[in-house]
Amino acid sequence: MYEFLQYHVRDAMTVDPIAISPKAKLHEAEDLFEIHDFNGVPVVNDQRQLLGMLTKFDLLKAFRFDSHTLVPHYNAIMEQLVETVMTCDPVAVSPQLPLSRLLQKLVEMRTKSLPVIEEGNLLIGIISRQDVLKALRRSTVQREILTPRDRAS
Amino acid sequence: MTTLLYTHSACQEHDTGFGHPECAARLTAILNVLGTAPFAALEWRDPPKATSEQLTHIHSQSHLERILGQVPKQGHYAIDGDTIISPSSGEAALRAAGAVCAAVDAVLGREAHNAFCAIRPPGHHAEPSQAMGFCLFNNVAIGAAHARAAHALQRVAVIDFDVHHGNGTQVAFEHDPGYFYASIHQAHIYPGTGRREERGIGNIVNVPLSANSGSAELCQGWNQKIAPALRQFQPELILISAGFDAHHMDPLAEINLSEDDYAWLTEEILAVAADCCEGRVISVLEGGYNLSALASSVAIHVKTLMAAPATT
Repeated sequence: MYEFLQYHVRDAMTVDPIAISPKAKLHEAEDLFEIHDFNGVPVVNDQRQLLGMLTKFDLLKAFRFDSHTLVPHYNAIMEQLVETVMTCDPVAVSPQLPLSRLLQKLVEMRTKSLPVIEEGNLLIGIISRQDVLKALRRSTVQREILTPRDRAS
Repeated sequence: MTTLLYTHSACQEHDTGFGHPECAARLTAILNVLGTAPFAALEWRDPPKATSEQLTHIHSQSHLERILGQVPKQGHYAIDGDTIISPSSGEAALRAAGAVCAAVDAVLGREAHNAFCAIRPPGHHAEPSQAMGFCLFNNVAIGAAHARAAHALQRVAVIDFDVHHGNGTQVAFEHDPGYFYASIHQAHIYPGTGRREERGIGNIVNVPLSANSGSAELCQGWNQKIAPALRQFQPELILISAGFDAHHMDPLAEINLSEDDYAWLTEEILAVAADCCEGRVISVLEGGYNLSALASSVAIHVKTLMAAPATT
């Protein structure tokens, strides 16, 4: 675990992640979720400045009952633009943030991933629960005494 | 005392397209239950088609012509994203409205104490000149208007416990002191009307409930808002817009009523009817989209109607 305390976000994040335009349609985002098993995708402008995050949760919210129709209509909702349902001004982290601090933040916010930005609000990475779990394992398994089960695998 | 059951095969032929929640299987589920031994005392009747005179008490002539003209020879036609019609829809809609009018004639003619109309399409969203929300003609409002026009009643009440607000019934009644309309429904979902402040000329009572409300909120709304206003109105006939989509298993809303709540509310309505109008109640099916919850809720509702105490 001590090694984990040395890690920073940049050591565990996915670099240059796939991002989506605010003018893309929700079905394009849904395709990304489907193909890549993403839970959320950063929304960026042409300069790759971070504008928002679009998550599966945001897509679900678009299907809540409202006063316009009795039944939410899949195709009509999926034609909406990403910018209409994305979370604006999302929480983002610096690549220099200690990974242990990032872990606390993920737990506190109950969020699944956070975008990583550098100066000028430029998107340079994304870091997820899975990335942190992998880093925990990597920083620990190598150092500790192997159990019979570990040796067998 | 006799309870009448109005239903018609055309109502099952009204086809809303693959997977639509307002489907023929709803009626099949209801009629399967009402065909069992505990309901043997129900008197089943085939309704006639509503006449254009009956329909135009509520709807414009152009609405009738438009709706009947939109009925396709084959396939489906979408009036809006929710409201789909097919070749049998015209007859189904006429039989649905006709059922309520026939039930009014029978109950006011003392052939029975009360009646249940197992019909579709539903009606309470249909406005005088606008079909919407699965509804083509406002069955319950047409029946209420028929009671006043053909039987010279002065005061007719509609109690609407469908989970969606009956905008169409409210619009039809809100300027006329001969009608009373009360609705308990989930706030902020379709059709977006039914706020507490919408009171018509004092003859409208809206009780919007927030998501996840249940028995307690239903009791409170009935006891504190609806029942006192209804008693004060002294109805000569009570119609019920009986939607069962506030059930906790319904897929189209977020209210948590159970079969027991429907039994309780039905008894409460019958008690007011016994005091005010010799027990005259006509209940008209609106929504309810979980087939088993719908069937069991209708069953307990109708059983309660059949058990209505005799009045003098």
